[in-house]
Amino acid sequence: MMNILRKQRAKSILMSIFALAVSFIFLFPLYWIFTSSLKGDAEIFRKPPTLFPHQIFTDGYFGQLTGKHSVLISAKNSLTIAISSMAISFFLAVPAAYGISRFKVPGGKSLIMTFLVTQMLPASLILTPLFLTFSKLKLLNTYLAPILAVTTITIPFTLLVLRPMFMACPAEIEESARIDGCNRFTAFLRVVLPIIKPGLVTVCCFGFVHGWNDLVYSLTFNTNNALFPMTTAIYNLMNEYGIRWNWIMAYGCMLVTPPIVIFVTAQKYVISGMVGGAVKG
Amino acid sequence: MDLKTTLPKTKPHTTGISAVKRRRLSQLGQEYLTGYMFILPALIYMLLLIGYPIVYNIVLSFQDVSAFNLAAGGQRPFIGLQNYKTVFADETMKSAIWNTFYYTVSCLVVQFSLGLMFALLFHQKFALAKPLRGFLVISWMMPVTVTALLFKYMLSPDVGIIDIFLKALGIINQPVGWIINQSTAIYGPIIANSWVGVPFNMLILTTGLAGIPDEVYESSSIDGASSFQKFLHITLPLLRPAMMAVLVLGFVYTFKVFDLIFVMTGGGPVNATEVFATFAYKLSFRFYYFGQGAAVANILFIILFCVALVYLRLINKEETM
Repeated sequence: MMNILRKQRAKSILMSIFALAVSFIFLFPLYWIFTSSLKGDAEIFRKPPTLFPHQIFTDGYFGQLTGKHSVLISAKNSLTIAISSMAISFFLAVPAAYGISRFKVPGGKSLIMTFLVTQMLPASLILTPLFLTFSKLKLLNTYLAPILAVTTITIPFTLLVLRPMFMACPAEIEESARIDGCNRFTAFLRVVLPIIKPGLVTVCCFGFVHGWNDLVYSLTFNTNNALFPMTTAIYNLMNEYGIRWNWIMAYGCMLVTPPIVIFVTAQKYVISGMVGGAVKG
Repeated sequence: MDLKTTLPKTKPHTTGISAVKRRRLSQLGQEYLTGYMFILPALIYMLLLIGYPIVYNIVLSFQDVSAFNLAAGGQRPFIGLQNYKTVFADETMKSAIWNTFYYTVSCLVVQFSLGLMFALLFHQKFALAKPLRGFLVISWMMPVTVTALLFKYMLSPDVGIIDIFLKALGIINQPVGWIINQSTAIYGPIIANSWVGVPFNMLILTTGLAGIPDEVYESSSIDGASSFQKFLHITLPLLRPAMMAVLVLGFVYTFKVFDLIFVMTGGGPVNATEVFATFAYKLSFRFYYFGQGAAVANILFIILFCVALVYLRLINKEETM
């Protein structure tokens, strides 16, 4: 008996070590981007590289806060795009997910399939036609162009993640709410939505992150520097900075902060979104 | 008198049935109507922003549309398959076809095999399993732009930590150069993508593993099955839906790669990392041959659409089983 227990403990320790090694390799790039962002211009080129900065330089951060390419302007643009696209897809897709799962509408099944396929579409497919259409509608070089384009990813995602949750929500609760004097819409707002709150948190997290992370739509539709989100800005600065990796990494650190904060604070919701979005869609 | 009293009695009775029927029908209609009221706004929105562009893109690919003839008054003559012929005659297209498939298959092999291995590891019960497993997928949330720049830095020939590390281990004598060499450039995006893809595959596969009931393993232990037999005859078949999901979705997500390659290598050096998406982008927005860009995007779309259809048929079959 003791022998088995000891064997199990040895196995557990061995697996922990192996798991830690794997995690170390996969988390190292995150550590590296952060350390490199704090190194000075000389230290970043030192060979062999230092594992942690001997002298901490914050120029990479503070140096980019001001001036023509200020991070703050781009951060404001990123926020505008992320929040607007999140809001649009929330107000359109949450009711749609409810409608598809609660009502037996004709064509419901094929609608879901269509959204499934939509989520798989490459951005390149709609890039050229949207560019020509937006150009005709005078939407190029506005916030609206990338916002509208980003929602084409977030709406199907929201639908696919929320549909199973709405379906799991018992219809009896809604019926009793309607006996108590709610109509379809107030029952949806006051009774159903609070029940699927975790799902709503998930789709809001992803709605924001999809908008925040977008590069290609802003890059294509907006050529005006003043409208660049952080992703487009860092892409353009890349050529200007050349190999000033400490500055580029500092910019990168600022750019990854919101998604990482969201991941850490809402990890449970984010992971359920990844699994839900992948297995069903 | 007798007739008079029976007639009014039966009449409301019969109309009563049809009234119930009618009410039920109108209730059904009401149900459809309310259902569509919830769905329609999103549906119309998507039709305008996805449906219309898809059709427009197909039309564009058969037209001669470029910045030049748009500026010259907007003539868009139909030229049949000319755009497709032109892009297929282009050397870059041949590189793009080869690179897209090479990149996708390599990424899938790496992320699936390592992902499955790590899933089996992190599925075991030990203290650190859950927190570590949850934290590893953090790379999935990062902007691809940053992932691309980070790996461009880590793979750079002079200060890249990966070359320095490999040299310290004695695996290489001089810097590989990775993305600046034509022959090794494609491995840059493959490595960067695996950093994101492996943990993600692990997450989905561990979720699949968690869905296999312990009793199945226990009863096979009683029957004297070895660990390997259990893996082969229980784990693999029961994990099939999760494996299919990661393989098909993995194919779709890697096949349409744009940001990662665009930021890391821009398709170069020469055409060493050009893929469908970057080539389509260049044709449309660097050379302003919108028709040709649309044609390349359409080819990408058709391939993905076929894969998506196969996937949908498979999950439909699985659901009915």
